[in-house]
Amino acid sequence: MAAEKAEMDALKKECDALRTQIEAARKAANDGSMSAAAGGVASVGRVQLKLRKNLKGHLAKIYAMHWSADSRSMVSASQDGKLLVWDTFTGNKLVAVPLKSAWVMSVDFAPSGNLVASGGLDNICTVYNIKAASPKTLRELDAHTGYLSCCRFLSDSEILTASGDTTCCLWDLETGKQKIIFTNHIGDCMSLALSPDMNYFISGACDSLAKLWDVREGACKQTFSGHTSDINAIAFFPSGNAVITGSDDCSCKMYDLRADQEVLDYTDSSLNAGVTSLALSNSGRLIFAGYDDFNCHIWDSLKGEKVGVLSGHDNRVSCTGVPEDGMGVCTGSWDSFLKLWN
Amino acid sequence: MSGKTPSCSNNSVIQAQKLVEQLRLEASMVRFKISLTAADLVQYCQEHRCSDPLLMGIAASSNPFKEKKTCVLL
Repeated sequence: MAAEKAEMDALKKECDALRTQIEAARKAANDGSMSAAAGGVASVGRVQLKLRKNLKGHLAKIYAMHWSADSRSMVSASQDGKLLVWDTFTGNKLVAVPLKSAWVMSVDFAPSGNLVASGGLDNICTVYNIKAASPKTLRELDAHTGYLSCCRFLSDSEILTASGDTTCCLWDLETGKQKIIFTNHIGDCMSLALSPDMNYFISGACDSLAKLWDVREGACKQTFSGHTSDINAIAFFPSGNAVITGSDDCSCKMYDLRADQEVLDYTDSSLNAGVTSLALSNSGRLIFAGYDDFNCHIWDSLKGEKVGVLSGHDNRVSCTGVPEDGMGVCTGSWDSFLKLWN
Repeated sequence: MSGKTPSCSNNSVIQAQKLVEQLRLEASMVRFKISLTAADLVQYCQEHRCSDPLLMGIAASSNPFKEKKTCVLL
């Protein structure tokens, strides 16, 4: 027992030393600020987007949405037990996928447009072929021991999932088996985002940390702290060198991957609602963040200023997405509607 | 010793060892100065301004989401 206690003490001492080393290295890299770098950049002014479409169809709270790579189709998930695929140009519903479990929390569109995936309190990520005559279940990925909070396709043959069991997982869709399990978070994983080059992904969790992972190696490369509550939303800056997070602590943050630290904080004293979702405009300059206060607030990502708001929902904004061509923003809400703005 | 199972403390040791390994990995990364990386992020935004429709604005004629009203000649 004494030997074990001695070993624990030695390990704890080494942990403390390494943490101090990391903090010192971060401090050494902290020779400037985002505010200073953005000082000479022109302001974006007031960003006023108009409501272009109000998509009605779901009968209960919308929990998730995702654009297709064609920037025209979009899939939404509601606790009315359905996935709906929409043609956003006409507002028409193209496909309705009935779910085995109505408690859905996440949905994704494969880059090919052939498949959609969803999951939630059933702990399962189900993949559907929506190009068949009627939606066909392709795979049921069942191994997580907690709810499925997020799923993201890499291709028609691989998908990443984040779970309330604190792990993320890379699955092989041909076999339906887990390829790699990513363990390191100590709280429910709530969201994940793939890097533009698809070699890395970032996860946000209820331990208030964001972690960067190597998709192929399975290793956690970097850990970002600063938030004081659950991180519900996460996205890569389009260059792949920074990450934006949204949290229940009512703030969004920008973490610089190469400096390995927080470089900007998006907070407003009048905003006392948690961030549920976020999406970036194509250049990365605008952050569209959905909040519990029924609005989607727009932030200037470089200057850290609030520059606009999308108002109209009658309940929490639960999901936000910008299509690949950057032509608009879609917000989904617990009020059961999806709205398109530009 | 007594009837206590040592498995709990072994577990803690393994956990602590994993934590040390992870911290070693994270400590080993090469960090770049914020003055350089921030400037790079700013430059990216500026370079891609023109291909950001939400920033530049979208003409009514090329707006895919805008309701199209047809003109009727009376």
